[in-house]
Amino acid sequence: MRYLDKSIEEINKLLKDKKIKPIDLVNEAFDSIEKNSDLNAYITLNKEEAIKRAKELEDKEVDNLLFGLPIAVKDNMVTEGLRTTAASAILKDFVPIYDATVVEKIKEANMIIVGKTNMDEFAMGSSSRTSYFGAPKNPWNNEKISGGSSGGSATTVASGDVPFALGSDTGGSIRQPSSYCGLVGMKPTYGTVSRWGLIAFASSLDQIGPMTKNVLNNALLLNVISGHDSKDLTSSKKEKEDYTRLIGKDISGMKVAVPNYFMSDIVSKEVKEKIEETLEILKKNKVQVDYVDMKYLDNAVNLYQIIAMGEASSNLARFDGIRYGSSIEDASSIYEMYTKTRAKYFGEEVKRRIMVGSYLLSGENAKIYYNKALSIRDDIKKEFDRLFSDYDFVIGPTTVTTAYNLDDPMDDPSKSFMDDVLVIPVNMAGLPGLNIPVGLSKEKMPIGMHIIGNRFEEAKMYQLAAFLEKEINFEGGK
Amino acid sequence: MKEKLTREEVLHVADLARIDVTEEEIEKYQVELKQLLNDIEKVNDVEGYDDDMMVAPWDDNTTLREDVPGEMLDPKKVVENAPKHTGNYIAVPVVITENESEGA
Repeated sequence: MRYLDKSIEEINKLLKDKKIKPIDLVNEAFDSIEKNSDLNAYITLNKEEAIKRAKELEDKEVDNLLFGLPIAVKDNMVTEGLRTTAASAILKDFVPIYDATVVEKIKEANMIIVGKTNMDEFAMGSSSRTSYFGAPKNPWNNEKISGGSSGGSATTVASGDVPFALGSDTGGSIRQPSSYCGLVGMKPTYGTVSRWGLIAFASSLDQIGPMTKNVLNNALLLNVISGHDSKDLTSSKKEKEDYTRLIGKDISGMKVAVPNYFMSDIVSKEVKEKIEETLEILKKNKVQVDYVDMKYLDNAVNLYQIIAMGEASSNLARFDGIRYGSSIEDASSIYEMYTKTRAKYFGEEVKRRIMVGSYLLSGENAKIYYNKALSIRDDIKKEFDRLFSDYDFVIGPTTVTTAYNLDDPMDDPSKSFMDDVLVIPVNMAGLPGLNIPVGLSKEKMPIGMHIIGNRFEEAKMYQLAAFLEKEINFEGGK
Repeated sequence: MKEKLTREEVLHVADLARIDVTEEEIEKYQVELKQLLNDIEKVNDVEGYDDDMMVAPWDDNTTLREDVPGEMLDPKKVVENAPKHTGNYIAVPVVITENESEGA
């Protein structure tokens, strides 16, 4: 048995007792990454630096549970001296000159970064197939997508390369690939994790979060990356808390709302049945489960299209071929430099979204579409507030089907949005959402349950997720 | 609902987005962009919501930090990240052409 397959407490004890060294863990991680290289989980590996760091840690005291453990970072978080591409040709040679706050934090916890993971270009997509570097594959079935946009992070954790990865979630990009790959994936409350150094897609929706094989590891990583950051205006000033504190506590008496829309015909029969089975487990353990009506859920995708594309068109204006990134040669004017650089180096999905976003924010359209979307967005939040005044959680499936085939057509511009229909409302309201694997389909592909909590109630979500993890005993990734 | 944008509409949004488009792409975007805009049109069918707007999901922490000098990035490193630079300056193509300067 590899050391990396042991529990976090066991690994920690071995390190403390000097029976193993961080380099043993790093070597195991790279052996696995190299063996799985056809899964295309990484854009850039950090092997030399990781080995160097592991050696440096040999002289340090083992000061926390995550000490010396390898972690993968999604390639839209900047890493000083380590290429960061956001899976785009426009950043294919970009080497940042500073670290994102989350990267600083994992380094301070003495975790070891093994590489930068594959993703949809600028996190725009739901299958990681818009990556300039080709799509990652699902370790459960290599013909299938691992989801997106944090597909590479999901692939590398599910295949057992590393126990931890960071993802980012603008409209489901942590939870959906976690569901497709059988992982625990948390999108924390907006403001919990600093966005400083996260290459912005839609600033009012983006949030970084942990992806792991189990609930405890997930909560431990959130402990490390959360906390106020004065460099991010939207970072919450709430005091730091221990997200593991409720794990193992009794869940009886909790109340769960299941919106009828989440269990409607948009969800496949197989996924629905698995979620129903899981709800039965909760009921048997004295959790009240009520099916409820909730307004505006069916509008969330359209609101997301307006808000996310609008914000993206503004955020991606910075890629102009001047200050950093790729640039065309021999432009005769500044206008030509902008338009030709962006035409050459942005991918199709990104161009479409920037164009639609620019249109939506231009002139009178801002009032017709954008302001209207913000009004309905506020009502979605009020609907969640209404449910949370009576219930502890809102629950449903994370995805409408299990992972689909890598070679399924990509010619429908609406498809990547509809894949995230069940997870987008959470970003709209800034709430925390978590995927917990609850079983396998007939094809042996993972099915995930989506637990939505009230703002800053991640600890309680981990409590419920840990209970289900124990009851269901989901077999880990391949 | 019409199924295609006009050529001029595509050229207009491409200009707003500062993205050069080829003839072939114009035809493709006439259909693809229209499909997305048709999706978006559906918000106009939504009823019953109030006028309050949610610009972003934070409400308790929008304070600016103290205006004190902090650590700066090294200007040398910053310009080295630019595709073209001269000394501590980033080099760019001509911004104002002769015609424009005469016109102004």
